[in-house]
Amino acid sequence: MEQRRPDPDVLLARVAAAEEQERRGKLKVFLGAAPGVGKTFAMLNAAHELRRQGKDVVVGLVETHGRAETEALVSGLEVLPRQRLDYKGKTLEELDLDALLRRRPQVALVDELAHTNAPGSRHQRRYQDVEELLEAGIDVYTTLNVQHFESLNDVVEQITGVRVRETVPDSFFDRPHDVVLIDLPPRELIERLRQGKVYVPDQARAALQSFFSPSNLAALRELAMQTAADRVDSDLREYLTAHGAEPGALIRRRVLVAVDGHQHTEYLVRVARRLAERRNAPWTVAYVDTGSRRTDHDDLHRAFQLAKRLGGDTVILRGGKVADELLSYANRHGVSTVVIGQTRERPIARALGRTVTQQLLGKGARFDLTIVNTPYSRMRSRRLLEREEPWPERLREYGFATAILVAATLLAVVLDRLLPVGGLGFVFITAVVAVAVRSRRTVALAMAVLCFVSYNFFFTEPRLTLRITHGADLVAVFAFLLAALACSQLAGRVRGQNVALRAANEHTRALQALGERLAAAVDEAQVFRAGAEELSAALGCETVVLCRDGGDAVGLRAAAGQPRDAELGPRDAAAADWVAEHGQAAGRYTNTLSASSWWLLPMMVERGCLGAVGLRFPSAQERLSEEQRQLAEAMVQQVALASDRARLAADLESAHVDSETERLRTALLSSVSHDLRSPLASVIGAASSLSAYGDDMPAADRRQLLESIRSEGERLDRYIQNLLDMTRLGAGGLKLQRDWVGIEELLSSAVTRLRKLFPAVAVETRVAPGPPLLYVHPALIEQALFNVLENAAKFSPPGAPVVATAESADGKLVIEITDGGPGIPEEERRRIFDMFWSAARGDRGRSTGLGLTIVRGMVGAHGGKVEALSGPGGVGTTIRIALPLPEPPRPDAQEEEA
Amino acid sequence: MTEVATPPPRILVIDDEPQIRRFLEISLRSQGYGVDEAATGREGLERLATRGADLVVLDLGLPDMEGHEVLRELRQWSRVPVIVLSVRASEAEKVRVLDGGANDYVTKPFGIQELMARVRGLLRGQGAPEDAAPVFDDGRLRVDLARRLVSLDGGSVRFSRKEFSVLAMLVRHSGRVVTQQQLLRELWGPDHVHDTHYLRIVVAKIRQKLGDDPAHPRYVQTEAGVGYRFVGEQGPA
Repeated sequence: MEQRRPDPDVLLARVAAAEEQERRGKLKVFLGAAPGVGKTFAMLNAAHELRRQGKDVVVGLVETHGRAETEALVSGLEVLPRQRLDYKGKTLEELDLDALLRRRPQVALVDELAHTNAPGSRHQRRYQDVEELLEAGIDVYTTLNVQHFESLNDVVEQITGVRVRETVPDSFFDRPHDVVLIDLPPRELIERLRQGKVYVPDQARAALQSFFSPSNLAALRELAMQTAADRVDSDLREYLTAHGAEPGALIRRRVLVAVDGHQHTEYLVRVARRLAERRNAPWTVAYVDTGSRRTDHDDLHRAFQLAKRLGGDTVILRGGKVADELLSYANRHGVSTVVIGQTRERPIARALGRTVTQQLLGKGARFDLTIVNTPYSRMRSRRLLEREEPWPERLREYGFATAILVAATLLAVVLDRLLPVGGLGFVFITAVVAVAVRSRRTVALAMAVLCFVSYNFFFTEPRLTLRITHGADLVAVFAFLLAALACSQLAGRVRGQNVALRAANEHTRALQALGERLAAAVDEAQVFRAGAEELSAALGCETVVLCRDGGDAVGLRAAAGQPRDAELGPRDAAAADWVAEHGQAAGRYTNTLSASSWWLLPMMVERGCLGAVGLRFPSAQERLSEEQRQLAEAMVQQVALASDRARLAADLESAHVDSETERLRTALLSSVSHDLRSPLASVIGAASSLSAYGDDMPAADRRQLLESIRSEGERLDRYIQNLLDMTRLGAGGLKLQRDWVGIEELLSSAVTRLRKLFPAVAVETRVAPGPPLLYVHPALIEQALFNVLENAAKFSPPGAPVVATAESADGKLVIEITDGGPGIPEEERRRIFDMFWSAARGDRGRSTGLGLTIVRGMVGAHGGKVEALSGPGGVGTTIRIALPLPEPPRPDAQEEEA
Repeated sequence: MTEVATPPPRILVIDDEPQIRRFLEISLRSQGYGVDEAATGREGLERLATRGADLVVLDLGLPDMEGHEVLRELRQWSRVPVIVLSVRASEAEKVRVLDGGANDYVTKPFGIQELMARVRGLLRGQGAPEDAAPVFDDGRLRVDLARRLVSLDGGSVRFSRKEFSVLAMLVRHSGRVVTQQQLLRELWGPDHVHDTHYLRIVVAKIRQKLGDDPAHPRYVQTEAGVGYRFVGEQGPA
């Protein structure tokens, strides 16, 4: 066999699947053709074998039905006590799932996979319990009859005439499992039955005879063998695909089955599944919503659920024409085969070649069309389905039609004098159209006929009879009839489309509204609130959003729609926990924990389940339409994604903040380390020099050292003061004690201090005469000026003076201090005011990095602004401080005079 | 015959803080050393190249060049002893510069006498460490490097081969710090440069045998994270 390169995606899926398999428990199914072949017996024997091998085996639940030989096998194995549930006065026993999960054996025996659990159990069906066990890593041995396979249900019915209700979906068997076929020749089985060794439930005794006939049993036995063989076959196919041996098999063509929700939908789904299975192809169930009110939504919903269980996709298409929508979908999704059932074919439509089948045949030439012959060709009457119309609605429509009819007739009477008979047709046409767009087709049709009658009766010669004497009138009237019929149909179809489109529009609008609100939400709380409110508005239900609060329990995060109780009851809370844990929907309208009044949907994102969204519909609403379900799921999905995004954004923000804080802390530490140590080193060095060698040195040197000690001590003091200022500014503890003071006073004081530090630097001060007084905290502004001057002095090369100017402009006092130094590049001019920023040019170790920050803080506290600009002529730097000028106090009139 | 007075040793101080330069200059001058100053790495290298020096005091935190850069350049053409001034926190830096060619270091803030001791030690050891006195004797401890004998207060003390090698190396570099890496590399081999626990055990043994209390060491002083220093003052030889 030619080996092709295996498809990497398939291989990857296989690896992932293999890892999954390692984790999950293994399933072994003891399969039989009919009850009584000895499946439980064989299973128990296998369990004993395992025990002998030393494995930890526990009996979860085994039905012995009182057979002694079976009971004998059970003894000797550890049996888990069953859970007792009370239901309508009776005590029923079921598998105790939680106890078994806690016990966590290596292998658990769970009999009768297809059993339906009593109400009050966590899951509706036992196979769901088994699923949970497998998820938890426990291997499970179980028994099953061939008639319990979902996809074989109708075949079994054909064979035996008995329809089995309890089935296990085929998707359950998609995981790898072992099948042990327990075979017993039919004759022997019948013999056992006669000996009373076969358990038969009381209800089935009547059907017993037909069921256990030799021919039935033979057919079932063959079916069982085929099923077991099929399983092997599919394993083989998977192997081949992974190793690239079947190139053709890798190109899949989809099967599309169209259902109309009228009849035999489930049958069609099963047929499609078998077809798809045979070809190893994916398949989709499509329903075209034309807005027709005749759809049985229950039937449709059941069919969709069935499809999902069997492993197919479902889709609802919307549009006016069934065939067109189907073909367009088929084209877009790589469909090769379209499957439809026998449709109700109206004779007229067939005559015109307009049935769906004919349309598909005509337009869909590229596709294989499979028409399935349904077993019972009795077609349900249309009228049966229309019964769901509420009576008041129908009365209203008839009433409306009648009213319009009368009005039209009267109008025609009036116009009779002016128009020929033929012209009156327009009045009636208008009436027909008016009714058709607002009513159902039957009413519209009736209206058309009645208008015709009225037209004929009242307005054609001879009047007040239904006979027509003039040929021209005959033509006109019958032409009218045809036109009226056509109009009613057209208008009806338009109305149908409208209804369908409106529904689709609602769906889209709800999603869009939700999307907009989620996009605007900045944090998780807003996301949840938006989600809850939009869900309530769109679906008309109470909504709660529950999220994991770290720990296992879920806490309430948002609620909308005025929920009756503020908190979830303990049972509902437990259900929510379960949903968050398993990432599956539960509650009302589902198969799990369906006693709850809430429908709980998990919020799934890539990394797991964030929590659950609970929806409570009015208790009168027994079921959900497919659209509501899909809309709810889509909205919950959006909310989950948005919440995840919000959480990630918050994490990013805090990481950013953390790194900023870290940066500042590092800068502070290095600044303290250096700027405190340097003056200290000078002080200690000078002091120890004096102490050790003071006698050896000339007096001048001694004086210098003492001077060093003093000035460096002061430098230390200034630095500490800077730090304190910074902490005060930071903590908002700066209390301004303002006073009226002139800028020239402050400048001169600052310059004097500067001269002590930098005696060599020349400072020029130019203050415009008579500047207004400042109302500021003098010491702080003086400190700010000093810091700026110090900075300028450090940068100015010898010979270039530092220039300080002050003048008032636009109600502000502007002070500019310019140095002749190297200047600051434009991109740094804003950053020099940041903490611990030192321009890297030759100034490391001389600048604390805090000076200008303090300036910004102090000026800012007074409502002023400081900025750095390029010096005049592009040389050096100018620091400009602008302080607001209040109105100066008017001097006393007395003082002025004096 | 008139004795030509040997010119006093010249010390080059490279530090950007003027106050530190000032007290260093005053103190060194008062002890009879000639002092040159430089405020930046470039200036320092230039001055060393043009005027030369007998010892260099180098601050690590210079504005224009990193300390080890200055050292590396310097070492390309000069064997002048270098004492490095550093801030206490950067031990890795200290080890780096010591391995990179510096001979000793002092942490800021420091007392002048500590620096003086190191200066003296280095200037005394000029020539080559190998030519150092073969015997250390301060009146109590006597280490004979040539004959591999150690005696304390007259009584002989047995040292294992490794222990003696370590002690000998420290004594040869008396007053100066010897890095762990240096000791390990020379006495255990380049493959064992990171096996500091060997060294620690040996030094503990040495201390024990010398009667040295590690908290108040008389002879073997630990420079945390860097190495060890032998601090004995040679008595009258």
